[in-house]
Amino acid sequence: MRELRNKNVIKGLLSDIRERAPSLPGPLKIMEVCGTHTMVIHRYGLKKMLSRAGISMLSGPGCPVCITPNEIHEAAIDLITENENFILTTFGDMTRVPTSKGSIQTTVPKKGSQVKIVYSPFDALNIAKKNPKKDVVFFGVGFETTIPSIAVTVKYAVQNHLNNFSLLSALWLIPPPLKTIVESKDNRIQGFLYPGHVSAIIGEKPFQFIPEHYSIPGAITGFEPGDILMSLLSIQNQIINSNPIVDNTYNRVVRPNGNPSAVAVMAEMFQKKDSHWRGLGYITGSGLKLKHEYKDFDSEYKYKMKIEAHSHDLPGCRCGDVLQGKILPSECPLFSKGCTPDSPQGPCMVSYEGACLASFKYGDKD
Amino acid sequence: MCLGIPAKVISVDENKQGKIDYLGTRVKTNFVLLEDVKPEDWVIVHAGFAISKLNEQEAKETLELIREYTEFSENIKEQR
Ligand code: SF4
Repeated sequence: MRELRNKNVIKGLLSDIRERAPSLPGPLKIMEVCGTHTMVIHRYGLKKMLSRAGISMLSGPGCPVCITPNEIHEAAIDLITENENFILTTFGDMTRVPTSKGSIQTTVPKKGSQVKIVYSPFDALNIAKKNPKKDVVFFGVGFETTIPSIAVTVKYAVQNHLNNFSLLSALWLIPPPLKTIVESKDNRIQGFLYPGHVSAIIGEKPFQFIPEHYSIPGAITGFEPGDILMSLLSIQNQIINSNPIVDNTYNRVVRPNGNPSAVAVMAEMFQKKDSHWRGLGYITGSGLKLKHEYKDFDSEYKYKMKIEAHSHDLPGCRCGDVLQGKILPSECPLFSKGCTPDSPQGPCMVSYEGACLASFKYGDKD
Repeated sequence: MCLGIPAKVISVDENKQGKIDYLGTRVKTNFVLLEDVKPEDWVIVHAGFAISKLNEQEAKETLELIREYTEFSENIKEQR
């Protein structure tokens, strides 16, 4: 699919987008929901080219490391600083998020405790197998793309009685915050690029409410520059024809009904709960926790953790506003001054998908 | 975080564990989330799990559509 990054193809698609711009109320405000899209848009310089073609791209809440609120990061830090013989396993980005208690990477664990970075949830399970005398906690973060893999991992631990393994969950569902965003008073979004790999799991239907109830067009989008431009063309056409739908321009990967086996294992292991998102507040039914019958594998239950929402972000960090599209990263007073990738002051500068990191590397203005 | 890489399946055993080829490297992959998968299939891999199969027919159609768009805009430019 190399053609989807070919310069001439990109140019051709951009000129099509430009052709249509005069017949549209411009500039169009389109939200890319997924952090991986944010990265692609910046890396290929599409943000600036699109703004000249009458499309202004806004980043959405699709960076799981960023939207996980401080109280959960702090609870993970407490686990290893207050307990002996613990192994905290998690994805690399999570270890660098700064909180008022430092970051997982900078805190000093108690005797016999340590942090291990894993690539797959299954790696965490193998660590539990190899260390039967230690308590292994997998601090699992992710959207629907990652949740089925975590569900399979916990299911395996349950079946094999790996009682020293448990899950500290920071699991988020994508459709609920989109509803929050379109219903917010000052919403200006005129179209959505839906996340391709979340859709590979859940399919097209969970986004249907957006065109149906709010008449906002959108397209499920792949991760090549050509994919992004094709979806934007589709959104323009939907507006011109007054026919908002959920178009699927990534149908080489996304089936209309997603991946039913993955959805089934999610439903088998987890139940919905109301969750607190950084910047967006509490959202009904937007998070998942292990079902009651698996409570012994739920770190929160097992270690009687009290995770209470607070808004103690680091002083000056405006990550919450960035995640809602209220300000551009460069409008944060700390951006590139106190806050850089080497010394991040908030998660949006830590994560590979964070909007602040993308803007720092590639700029966010013309 | 939702980064998924397209890769070719090398092997799958009866427990749905196996390997993919990613840029010449063989990487252990878990295939339990896919109904049917065999060597030579292309899949999207995320966090050590294959989460979706690539559909060749749809991939070809995407490329054709892209070509049409690009030719269409070439034609417009030529007409000017
Ligand atoms: S630039 Fe740094 S301090 Fe400012 S919002 Fe982004 S992460 Fe927070």
